[in-house]
Formats: sequence, structure tokens, C-alpha cells
Amino acid sequence: MDPCPSPYFDSAPCYLTVIDRDLRIVHANRRFREGFGDPQGRHCYQLYKGRSEKCEVCPVERAFWDGQSHRNEGRVTRLDGMDVAVLSEATALRDENGDITAVINMATDITQLKDLQSQLRRSQRRYRLLFDEVPCYISIQDPDLHILQANRAFQAAFGSCLGCKCYEAYKHRVEPCVPCPVQETFEDGELRTREEVVTSLDGKQMNVLVTTAPIRNEQGQITGVMEMSADITEVRALESRLTSLGLLVGSVSHGLKGMLNGLAGGMYHVDVGFKKNDKARTEKGWATVQRNVARIQSMVSDILYYAKDRVPMWESLSAAQVAEDVCGLMEWRAKDQGVELTKMLDPGAGEFEADAQAVHSLLVNLVENSLDACRLGAKKSGYEVTVRLQGYPDHIQYEVEDNGVGMDRETREKAFSLFFSSKGTGTGLGLFISNRIARAHGGTIELDSQPGVGTRFVVKLPRERPLRQEPKDSRPPETEEIHG
Amino acid sequence: MADGPKTILVVDDDPDARDFLAAVLQDNGYAVTTANDGEQAIALIEQSVPDLVALDITMPEKSGVAVYRRLKEDERLKSIPIIIVTGVSDDFKSFISSRRQVPPPEGYISKPVDHEKFLTMVRALIA
Repeated sequence: MDPCPSPYFDSAPCYLTVIDRDLRIVHANRRFREGFGDPQGRHCYQLYKGRSEKCEVCPVERAFWDGQSHRNEGRVTRLDGMDVAVLSEATALRDENGDITAVINMATDITQLKDLQSQLRRSQRRYRLLFDEVPCYISIQDPDLHILQANRAFQAAFGSCLGCKCYEAYKHRVEPCVPCPVQETFEDGELRTREEVVTSLDGKQMNVLVTTAPIRNEQGQITGVMEMSADITEVRALESRLTSLGLLVGSVSHGLKGMLNGLAGGMYHVDVGFKKNDKARTEKGWATVQRNVARIQSMVSDILYYAKDRVPMWESLSAAQVAEDVCGLMEWRAKDQGVELTKMLDPGAGEFEADAQAVHSLLVNLVENSLDACRLGAKKSGYEVTVRLQGYPDHIQYEVEDNGVGMDRETREKAFSLFFSSKGTGTGLGLFISNRIARAHGGTIELDSQPGVGTRFVVKLPRERPLRQEPKDSRPPETEEIHG
Repeated sequence: MADGPKTILVVDDDPDARDFLAAVLQDNGYAVTTANDGEQAIALIEQSVPDLVALDITMPEKSGVAVYRRLKEDERLKSIPIIIVTGVSDDFKSFISSRRQVPPPEGYISKPVDHEKFLTMVRALIA
């Protein structure tokens, strides 16, 4: 072999070779010789890779072909058996006439760099896996509450909502929640924990425990906030009955005191009527007493449905008579509120199997809700509540429709949730119980409502009681019993 | 000016509650007007200033707290005695905590209302 072209060539801290057109190594520096042995005119592919034929992609050959420099990455095997990652660059060497006489190939050992890159990729994969597989919903928001990232569980439950606002995805709201734990964390960098009710893509409501944490850049500035929500719906469902009853008592106490006040008023009229021998006054007072006793019965019935399991008392009921009874009970209140209560009942609706008290409570709750919606409306008059009944071969259908205040999307979605009420005086029990009763009868309640337009409830109840299921499941479904 | 009966405004969204207090007051010689929400109450007071207001707290449109603040912040109306009539003590607590820079109510009675106690309170405020 010819002597080295220069002393620098020999001491260069990389593998340097000069290669001829036959891909034979004509010069090699010291580091190459230490790593791969004396080339003695052998081919580069033999020494670098132990191959008997040239490589499929050969930067040296390409440099001979076009005179340009060519670069590639690959792995070579040293004499000591070590596999080394190298970045090679082949550059053409020309004579005084400009003809290419050889190619110089510089291969730099990048094994450490490749190992670091590989570790980084593995870390990123692990981080992504953890982010995606952690059994809770994680999203990262910017200061404007846009979702920048979301894990797989989040996207499965709430959709691919990158770029949209968190309150749109989580709650289908049109404006931020108040208070907003994400905004609070942006403001002071503190962790926040809060319980919320959110709605998934398929309309399922979930109780979630939300924790927010700041994400800071290298300067310590908060660039994002991570929101992590754990689904605690089942925990809530399994909460001790005593705790729920405590909430129940709190939520109904206002209503109960109002009804007791109504009773006190009725008794006062009766008392004065007797003393003054005023029959009209006595009758007025007695009507007030009866009305408030009925209200208390209705509320107690709701509480009982919530508080304990109750086996329905199945009997054959006249669908029209049930509607008549409910309208009769609610007429006084509608009249007092100046609301026109209209009945449109199909006289041939026929009979259906149901628990009379339960269905009665179901419809009373709906009519009460409609009357409250009228009371809360912006108009001073012109309110109507219509109760409709239609018989079908396999089911009967009640409708309760009003032109009251209506519900926004959040209220619609939470309307049947326990203890949710958009009214100052509501207990959050009525529609929850109505829905539970409908389901216990194998039926459904559908809700259609628009703010400022009104609300329509459609109740479908099968004519025949739901079949008792064989004990395949450990817990009978709600079509069998009305559970509290 | 001729001495007519004292006028009392009863404000409550529950018709039975309004009717109860109105009957008790009318039976005892007071002239009564009623309102079923806060906005209506303010409108009636603007038309004719009553001698006393019996005010529920939790109501639609405008709550009793808002009515109370409105009256007590108005130089012309702040001397009208107000009896708070409410069902839940929490309402009254929130009422008190929200009542910054306005004086306490002249009276407070919880539901169900003891009408004798209510009358005693009214008589003490407007003899």
C-alpha cells in the first residue's frame, strides 16, 4: 500500500479510507486499521461488512458516478466483533485534469448518538403508552382552553377534539365552566381537584374527579395545564346509602317546609271558617290542606322510590283515567299560575299494566316540571301546558309539553340526574325518579327542549309488564323492581 | 291625610304561602298586596310604597336577596320594615353573608310560619 497522503489523514478521529473504482481500499488511516485490520487492497464491503459482494446502495460508487459527495448511515462490524453505527460521507478525489481518481470515505462512529436516540424514542414510546393507556381521561389545554393533546381514553370517550375547547368536549357547553379549575391553575400554578359531571360522545353521563396541574417551560412559565379526570361513576353509585340519604334530606327540606307552610295556611283557613261559621272559608282551607297533603304524598313517594327498593304493585290501569287524575291534581296549581292546562286524551287508549302510584308520580313530576318552566319564563302570560295521551298496539304514550323557559344543552343532558335542578327551589329528585319509574316499567322518557321555546317529554310505557328475567344476572334489572 | 289600614306586601313564589300570610294579615285589619317574584315586588313598591314587606328568599326572576338589597340601598325605600320569611335556614345564612353594607332585616321567621308569632312581629314593627 502507498504511504498515507498526510500525517493528518492517519491521526483523524474517524475511519478514513481512500477507495478506487474497483472498491478496493488503497489507503486507510490508523483508526480504520485498528478497527478493521490491514486492508491490503481488499474491498471496502469485505472489511466493513464482511460481505462478498458490494452493498446495494454504495455512496462510493455514486461519488465515482456523479462526482458529488454522498452520505449514508449504516452499521459496520469491527474486528473485535463490535457492531458500530457509522455516518459515512464519500467524496470524489480528482487529478490535475479534473478526472476522478479515487473516493475518500469518512465514516464517523455515531453509536453513542444512535443509542441515545434509541433511548429517547423508547422513552417517548413509553410516555405515549402511559399517556394513552392510563385508565383516566387526560387532556392538555392552552390558556384559551383549547385542547392541545388528549390521551386515547379521552378521545374514545369525548371524540377527536384536538383544537376545540375543553368545555365543549367535556360538557357540551358554549361557554367556560364557572369556576374553571384549568383557568385557576393557569392563574396561580396550584393543583386543583374538583368533582364534575361530564357527558361522553354517546350521551353517557359520568361523575369524574378532575385534577389539574400546571405544565411549565424551561423558564418556569405555565404554558399548559393538564386536566386528568378519573371516572368515579361507580364509586358514586356504590356510595353508602346513608350519605345519599343525608343529601336527600338536605335537598328536600326546603320543599317540605314549603308544603308544611301550605298545610299551616289551610288549617288556619279551616280554623277561622269554623269560628266564623264561614263555610266557604272552611272549604277553601280544606282544599288547601288536601292539596298540600297530596304534594307531601308525592314527595314522600319520590323519596321512597329513591331510598329503598320497592316491588311494583302491578295492576291494569286505564291510561286515560291516570291522565285525568294527574290533570285534576295539577289544575289548581296551573290556574293559580295563570297557565292553561290542556288535556288531549285518546279515549280509546285502553289499559296497561303498571304500578298506579308510580305512574301517577311519574306524570305529576313531569307536569310540575312544566309548570315550573312556565313560572320561570320571561313572559308574563300566555303559558300553556298540554298533556296528551295516545294508545298504540303495544304501548301507550303520554306527552307533557310546555312553552316555558326551556332548557339549554347542559340542562337537557343533566335533567334526569339525581340532585340536579336548574330551579332555585328544586330538589333534583323529580325527573330522576320519573326516569327510574319509566325504566322500571320497561318504558322510556324522551326529552326535547329549546331555551325560550319550551319542553316536551314523551313517555312510552308498554301495555304489558316487563317479563321477569331468570336469575342469570346476580342483580335483577330495573324492569323487575323499582330500586331505590 | 286620612288614616287608612296599614299596607303590607307579601312576596312569595308559592301561592299557598302568599295566601296564608295575606289571609292572616287581612283578618287582622291590614291591607295586603301580593307578588309572586322579586321583579313584580319591586314594580308594586315603585307604584305604592307599603308599610311593611314580608319577603321570601328563594324565588325565580329576582331573589329575595336582590329585592332586599334594592330596597335597603334606596334612600326613599330603605325605611320600609322587612320580615324575611323562608323555609331553609341555609337560605337565611346565605342571605346574611350576601348582605354587606346593608342593615340587618327588621324581622325573620321560618316556615312553616307560626301565624301568631308572625302577627306579633308585624304589630311590633308597624303598630
